[in-house]
Amino acid sequence: MSSDFEAYEQDFGTLTAEITNKIGRIPKLAGEEKTQLVLNVDKQLEEVRELLEQMDLEIREIPIQSRGMYNSRLKSYKQEMEKLEKDFKRSRIAYSDEVRNELLGDDGSSSESQRAHLLDNTERLERSSRRLEAGYQIAVETEQVGQEILSNLHSDREKIQRSRDRLRETDANLGKSSRILTGMLRRIIQNRILVFILGAILFLTIVLAIYFNLRGH
Amino acid sequence: AAAAAGGGEKEAMQLMAEADKKVKSSGSFLGGMFGGNHKVEDACEMYARAANMFKMAKNWSAAGSAFCQAARLHMQMQNKLDSATSFVDAGNAYKKADPQEAINCLNAAIDIYTDMGRFTIAAKHHMTIAEIYESELVDIEKAIAHYEQAADYYKGEESNSSANKCLLKVGSYSAQLEQYPKAIEIFEQVATSTMDNPLLKYNAKEYFWKAALCHFIVDELNAKLAIEKYEGMFPAFSDSRECKLLKKLLEAHEEQNNEAFTEAVKEFDSISRLDQWQTTMLLRIKKTIQGDAGDLK
Repeated sequence: MSSDFEAYEQDFGTLTAEITNKIGRIPKLAGEEKTQLVLNVDKQLEEVRELLEQMDLEIREIPIQSRGMYNSRLKSYKQEMEKLEKDFKRSRIAYSDEVRNELLGDDGSSSESQRAHLLDNTERLERSSRRLEAGYQIAVETEQVGQEILSNLHSDREKIQRSRDRLRETDANLGKSSRILTGMLRRIIQNRILVFILGAILFLTIVLAIYFNLRGH
Repeated sequence: AAAAAGGGEKEAMQLMAEADKKVKSSGSFLGGMFGGNHKVEDACEMYARAANMFKMAKNWSAAGSAFCQAARLHMQMQNKLDSATSFVDAGNAYKKADPQEAINCLNAAIDIYTDMGRFTIAAKHHMTIAEIYESELVDIEKAIAHYEQAADYYKGEESNSSANKCLLKVGSYSAQLEQYPKAIEIFEQVATSTMDNPLLKYNAKEYFWKAALCHFIVDELNAKLAIEKYEGMFPAFSDSRECKLLKKLLEAHEEQNNEAFTEAVKEFDSISRLDQWQTTMLLRIKKTIQGDAGDLK
């Protein structure tokens, strides 16, 4: 009787070990393999339940006095099985660490990665501070160039203003000279007219003189 | 091209000889009677052509002398303007060969211009002369004198930015020659006149910085008072890197700390290089620190 029970216990042990192993592996797998493994574990859990039932029947055949020990053992086995079932259920929806690692790239052991992280950060900081300094230098240079340009603009402004004033003066002078020239032209024409008139008068006087002379004779 | 140039020179010398003859002939009585002026004018033109041919042949001194002759003839004919332009041409030609002659010609031109009341252009030529003294003849004092004259003329003609340009040069050179009070006055003057102008106010801080440097060389206390005064007049000065450097230098000087001084200067230089003048002034200040330390020993 009890040897049967012990055989059942042994079977139970092996089966639970296998189930635990498989439950551990389930989250790492996916797709076809996973469904297969899941069915596998389901079957094994069924076997475990049958085992427990048979253990129960066995216990009933044992006289009541010695049942106590077997009963308690059976109870612990039942609890273990429930735990396995719970684990099994959880494992089917569990997120495993491994899957995450596969997605985000394999980080070795954690302390190594931390150190590499820190070095990387320091290097990045140094690079950024170097770039900031270069940027600052360029900004200062730009300011200096801007200063020079502004002062050039100022002096050009003065030159342009002066040229404009001189141009206005020249314009006024040109106007004046054109007026003077027209005045000169007028006077020349006046003089010429005067000369002609005087010439005509002289001519007339000479003609009259000759005429009166001839008349007088 | 060289043969043509050589030929050009010969032609030029021929022209010169002809022109000389014309001038001489016009001097005699008969020549003066029969359109002497005509002859002198022709001679002028020939001198100018000869000078241009010398220029092509790169015979600068011959070109210069030809222009001078032309200028003198123009003076004879009372063509002041033409004479002045010829003198300027002569000056430009001599610049490349004989700087002293160039300066003489330019001075003659300046006299004519000031006589006519054209001060702007006279000022420009003063600047040219000063540049010649700066670079070729290296006579800093004369250069300063000419720059000052140019600045005065510019001020008279209300060209303040050109005047400031000349004044700044006077200031830098005076400081180099250790005439600090003059330099300080000039820098302060220029700084106060530019600090209100919206276009030029970004330059004002540079001028305050230079004035403060000169104060510093003379006496540290002066520098401190000066910096306070400038900050009061021109608040933007206190934000500038130059002002911060000055304060650090003052501290270092008080503590007679040579390393802190050098450190501060190096830091400033790493961002924007110090030019020659500023480095010289800072070196003099540094020497005063070291000098004091030596006295203490």
